[in-house]
Amino acid sequence: MKIVVTVKLVPDPNGVKNIDPATKRLVRAGVETVINPYDEYALEAALQLKERVGGDSTVTVFCMSPESLKESLRKALAMGADGAVMLSDAALEGSDVWASAHAMSLALKRIGFDLLVVGGLTDDGSTGAVPGALAEFLGVPCLTNVRKIDIADGKVRVERETDGGYQEVTGALPMLVTTALTIGEPRYPSLKGIMGAKKKPIEMLSVADIGAGDAVGAAASKTELLSFAPPPARGAGKIVTPEDPAAGAATILAFLQEKKLV
Amino acid sequence: MKNVIVYVEQKKGATRKVTFEMLSEARKIADALGGRAVAVVLGSGAAQVAEQIKGYPVDAIQLVEDPAVEQFLLDPIVHYVELAAKNVGPSLILIPNTLSGRDLAGRLLARLNAGVAADVTEIVVTNGRVECVSPKLGGALVTHCVLRAGDYGIATIRPGAFTAAPGGSGAQIERHDVSNATYALAIERDVEEGSGEMALEEAPVVIAGGRGMGGAEPFTSMLKPLADAFGGAVGASRAAADAGWVSYSLQIGQTGKTVSPPLYIAVGISGAIQHKVGMRASGTIVAINKDASAPIAEFADLTVVGDAFAIVPELTKLVTAAKQ
Ligand SMILES: Cc1cc2nc3c(=O)[nH]c(=O)nc-3n(C[C@H](O)[C@H](O)[C@H](O)COP(=O)(O)OP(=O)(O)OC[C@H]3O[C@@H](n4cnc5c(N)ncnc54)[C@H](O)[C@@H]3O)c2cc1C
Ligand SMILES: Nc1ncnc2c1ncn2[C@@H]1O[C@H](COP(=O)(O)O)[C@@H](O)[C@H]1O
Repeated sequence: MKIVVTVKLVPDPNGVKNIDPATKRLVRAGVETVINPYDEYALEAALQLKERVGGDSTVTVFCMSPESLKESLRKALAMGADGAVMLSDAALEGSDVWASAHAMSLALKRIGFDLLVVGGLTDDGSTGAVPGALAEFLGVPCLTNVRKIDIADGKVRVERETDGGYQEVTGALPMLVTTALTIGEPRYPSLKGIMGAKKKPIEMLSVADIGAGDAVGAAASKTELLSFAPPPARGAGKIVTPEDPAAGAATILAFLQEKKLV
Repeated sequence: MKNVIVYVEQKKGATRKVTFEMLSEARKIADALGGRAVAVVLGSGAAQVAEQIKGYPVDAIQLVEDPAVEQFLLDPIVHYVELAAKNVGPSLILIPNTLSGRDLAGRLLARLNAGVAADVTEIVVTNGRVECVSPKLGGALVTHCVLRAGDYGIATIRPGAFTAAPGGSGAQIERHDVSNATYALAIERDVEEGSGEMALEEAPVVIAGGRGMGGAEPFTSMLKPLADAFGGAVGASRAAADAGWVSYSLQIGQTGKTVSPPLYIAVGISGAIQHKVGMRASGTIVAINKDASAPIAEFADLTVVGDAFAIVPELTKLVTAAKQ
């Protein structure tokens, strides 16, 4: 079974985030680039499936990003992916969700897959719309927010989380799934994995390779980012260390009464 | 993009508050664009929901009572909203920013070749141009983004961002035929755990507990009484849900629910960025935490440093007395 996992490279979620006023893009300098946390869970799910299904199953990581970030993808290889494919091209810059998902789908068609595992959300863009768009462009069924996957005889049986509980759904390969964080904590790369990752292949694709023509980048996008600004500041909060619990409770009550919340 | 379509999420004849908020906003946008505002309600129970939303200022409510909507995963909904879009014509489609709303937005964006603005809290129309405002990067920035002129645009709407205002002369209810399309993904089991989202997202006060609660028991014996004293609901951090102390349907944050009640009290929650994005927009934030240097103290309006197990029961008594 050929499993492909989409992985986005994002600025460290816990790092300070700045935007360049000229380009309206994230300033990457000085902020570590990491694998989007959600995608590490997707990769973990793929690696577990590979171990369970066995045979000649493979896990390939796919990423669309500037080539300069290539080395940040090694962690995925160190965790156990067999290889990686990276779609990089200056023409992709400024792509919105439509343009990104469209280009990614062309690359993924070329790579080919039985199961495509996608993260639930990106930490930097957070639209969560990429998985659904990919499934449509690729013409495969889409099972999102999955916490358990079983595969037998080409049938995929999943348990997926919903807003208020969970559902059990079965579908056929090829298919796209997105993973919930409850799928299992991502593994740490082992020393052997880290050493081995250096030798694993990262194949590069360009816009010409996927035949995307002009349907890429800012020009093909359906949205345009006008501006961004920090939100209106909240007034600085008070920090109170009360003498005893009753005084603490009284402080809260007085504060809420002043705000007419009680 | 001239008209506005509101996708109405419903389950068993019940819908969420965000529906009413979107219907009210849809009228304003449609008027600014010079088009119609149309609501789409799908599934068994759709007729019941149409009755509830009739008093809101849209021109028409399209109704398809197809049980396939509950029997199959999302595909029938994608199908019917696409049909509605083609039927209404070039339009801005409003979808709630919920788990299934995001899935729907992604699917439609490919089918309709539309742009999408996510987690929108404000929409400004000037000379036919639709501009969407969304907080990004955990609320660290607010972006303004234009949905380029084209046939369709999609905005996923943050619950609580718009104001619900009934009015208008009453919408026409249009029943549409059930399609003979077939769908691949049958839902074999659909399990509801707890009362879940509605209560939490709509509660005027949320009392959220974190790892500091140390177990399941304080959620029911300590936080619930405080929530009851306020007439609010109990929520949780991911750490508490991961530990199995509460169901995931109570989790607030990036991978859980987004809430913005007038009052949010975080009890034994450190305020990690992934938690913050789900509650930052709350009116007033109060934290009770042992640690004065917890990140939550940086954005709470009031942080009381101390042991929650001692403070919360006292606070419950005071609030109960004050309310009498
Ligand atoms: C991809 C990803 C997505 C995530 N999504 C979410 C999400 O949606 N929601 C979410 O909440 N988290 C999410 N997280 C997890 C998040 O990073 C934090 O780990 C989590 O929010 C921590 O929960 P906590 O504040 O309850 O626990 P902790 O960080 O352990 O904090 C516990 C706090 O309780 C205080 N405390 C302890 N005992 C007491 C006491 N007796 N009285 C008073 N205070 C006490 C401590 O001082 C501490 O500040 C996500 C993480 C990742 C990687
Ligand atoms: N540039 C990208 N390269 C690889 N995967 C991506 C990219 N953008 C989005 N994805 C995948 O799509 C998921 C959802 O992204 P989003 O819809 O942007 O929140 C992510 O978790 C990734 O798995």
